[in-house]
Amino acid sequence: MALINLLFFPGFTFLFMCALFFEWLDRRIIARFQERVGPPWFQPLADFIKLLAKEDIVPSGAHAKAAALLPMFSLTAVLTAGLYVPVGNVVTASFEGDLIVVLFLLSLPALGYFLAGWTSVGVYSLIGGHRSLLQYFSYEVPFLMAVASPAILSGSWRIASIAAYQSQTTWGALMQPLGFILAIIGLIGKLKRDPLDIPKAKSEVVAGSLTDFSGRKIALWHLSIYIQTVVGIFLLVNLFLGGSSHQSLFVALPIFGLKALGILILLSMISVLYARLRIDQLANLGWRVLAPLALIQLLVTIWSGG
Amino acid sequence: MRCLESIAYLFPRIWRTLARGPQTVAYPLSPIDLPAGYRGRVHIRAELCRGCGLCVRDCPAFGLELEREDRETFRLIYHPDRCAYCGQCEESCNFGAIYLDNDFVHGTFNREALIEVLVDRKRTNK
Amino acid sequence: MNRITVPIGPQHPLLKEPMAFQLTVEGESVIESTLRLGYVHRGIERLCQERTYVQNIHLVERVCGICSHVHTTTYCQGVEALLGLEVPLRGLYLRTLLCELERIHSHLLWLGVLARNIGFDTIFMYAWRDREIVLDIMEDLSGGRVSHAVNVIGGVRIDLTEEHRDTILSQLDLLDKQVAHLLGIVEHERSLKARTQNIGHLSLEDVRRYCVVGPVARASGLNVDLRRDRPPPPYDRLTFTVPVHEDGDVWARTWVRMRETVESVRLCRQILTLLPDGPVAARARRRVPAGEVISRSEAPRGEVIYYIRSDGSDIPARVKIRTPTLTSLITLPTQLEGVNMADVSVVLAGVDLCIACADR
Ligand code: SF4
Ligand code: SF4
Repeated sequence: MALINLLFFPGFTFLFMCALFFEWLDRRIIARFQERVGPPWFQPLADFIKLLAKEDIVPSGAHAKAAALLPMFSLTAVLTAGLYVPVGNVVTASFEGDLIVVLFLLSLPALGYFLAGWTSVGVYSLIGGHRSLLQYFSYEVPFLMAVASPAILSGSWRIASIAAYQSQTTWGALMQPLGFILAIIGLIGKLKRDPLDIPKAKSEVVAGSLTDFSGRKIALWHLSIYIQTVVGIFLLVNLFLGGSSHQSLFVALPIFGLKALGILILLSMISVLYARLRIDQLANLGWRVLAPLALIQLLVTIWSGG
Repeated sequence: MRCLESIAYLFPRIWRTLARGPQTVAYPLSPIDLPAGYRGRVHIRAELCRGCGLCVRDCPAFGLELEREDRETFRLIYHPDRCAYCGQCEESCNFGAIYLDNDFVHGTFNREALIEVLVDRKRTNK
Repeated sequence: MNRITVPIGPQHPLLKEPMAFQLTVEGESVIESTLRLGYVHRGIERLCQERTYVQNIHLVERVCGICSHVHTTTYCQGVEALLGLEVPLRGLYLRTLLCELERIHSHLLWLGVLARNIGFDTIFMYAWRDREIVLDIMEDLSGGRVSHAVNVIGGVRIDLTEEHRDTILSQLDLLDKQVAHLLGIVEHERSLKARTQNIGHLSLEDVRRYCVVGPVARASGLNVDLRRDRPPPPYDRLTFTVPVHEDGDVWARTWVRMRETVESVRLCRQILTLLPDGPVAARARRRVPAGEVISRSEAPRGEVIYYIRSDGSDIPARVKIRTPTLTSLITLPTQLEGVNMADVSVVLAGVDLCIACADR
């Protein structure tokens, strides 16, 4: 049973399917907002397979071992994180404090991304790596503080109990709208989506840290980023939208899916609405606006809840 | 209010575009409409051609070639791989023999396969 | 802080055409930049001396991939002056109609490129969607989306029917609405302003010193426009304003270009309503009398200059082309000094480079 959970639902296969589906949906929604047709449903899978089949090149001078290990490292981190995030009413593994583990695991790809830039030879990768680190410091603090609020409110650091607490009272997003907005911004920064795709801005640094990757490795990188998207969205659904803890799986899952879809549409919409920020603008935003707001939110939560 | 407008200026607008539906077409699957006057491949009304060579003289890309023996024996050869689809030949021809049509998809791996003999006129012995 | 050298180009996602930059970057700010050109040099000026005047129309059309029509217009204008040929008014109006349509097309395309460079894909898509309206009009008129092949020496090749004119007018109505929408975005959207204001600044002195022309000059407060200052017919019978801005940054250039687009739509409408009857072209001789001429016109990017010398045969002795991009290219090192690495793309987009024009 545990093996099935691990490999199929809600484990690797499910996350993989979700990643592809979300990628397609994301691209499709953005396309529709921009009055385009958008890619057909099999496009992400086709891209993935095509990349797998492509020649794998490591430029001379780059660290070959690191280049091979880092994408797997990121993928493993996000997959493990996915294990601890309840999907619907299915909880694969859970213990008091798993929220912290998930947050840690979700921020590991940022490290991987930076190291990928650091160990390759191109200047674009180098700049991309630096930028990703700078960006990390700007969004991570507000994100962590925003995510901590629902935990404090429900008095538990276990994701499943936070969701359960919210399904008994009201949604976290209604009680702490500010925290929800901050968490969404943080998530965008984490996923390096538009408009915070600064480390991989195409017109500035080509593809950031991933410029020198090709073939299988870039496929794994993309997969890990999309699985990170899925896990991040699931996490926010649990923390701010009350998860879905209905008795029957067949009711719980669609509800959960709808909530996740809502967040995905929100993310797509934000990426349609804004131009990319510059790194100093992001740092300003992060430290002058987001961090104080998050702090206030946290203090209010502690004061009112404690 | 003004601040909100500048922050979310596009917000109402993207929903309006959503209602309009996509403006692009998935090209090879769905057809595109070309206007009647589109300049595509060169065609000929062979019976009108007199082999005067005006089109060959004015073609900027050497896309046309005239092999001529005498007034009534000549071949007009078209090289689409050199053609710039400029329509100068149509403009230059005084007899309305040569014209551009709107088919434009003719890809091939073999350049030679594109070459077309437009007119192949032999002296008719009366 | 250690310095690194960042190559941009000849192939880079930010560049639509090949050219090369070597940026010396300290941290995230650019210390020094050097420019290398010539990747798309095709020897067009020399080739012009090998072709007849008629063939050259199609050759100079390929100098630029965006403002192709204005090149042939300037060229034909010059040759007509040498021939002493009077072009029928209807022909001139139709020529100008395409010039203005091309200006709209070029500016909308440019807005898309700028938006793409600042990571604002929505504007990119919207601008190019609206550009499609213009392209449809032009395709319908001339049979080509970008290479129109409309000009002949002595006039134009195309003509308009009454109902065709009405369709174009209704398409222009739609375009008007969309361009107003885009102008609204440029004027109000905050993240776009944040990325374009106070970047790539060029002062009025710099503009004078480098002889910058076109929208870049007008965005720095230099009020020049050949269409108004030396109006070739039929501009002298049309009314339009020339937008000028004082700021001299990328945002000002965006604003100037979008305002110009609005004006161009207005001009198109005027041309279509005023369109006189008559023939569209005069017959031209093939041999051009000896002499030399300078022909100028206002392209979307500024003033294009053609120098043509004839020795009396049907092949020009010399054709020299000065494109507006050349003047803005030399300002780039000034503009790039001290900007953030992330803003390089904005600066480069801001001057609306056409490398193919500059290299020829
Ligand atoms: S269309 Fe132009 S390039 Fe092609 S054959 Fe005719 S004259 Fe030559
Ligand atoms: S197509 Fe026309 S111009 Fe060309 S050779 Fe025939 S008659 Fe002459």
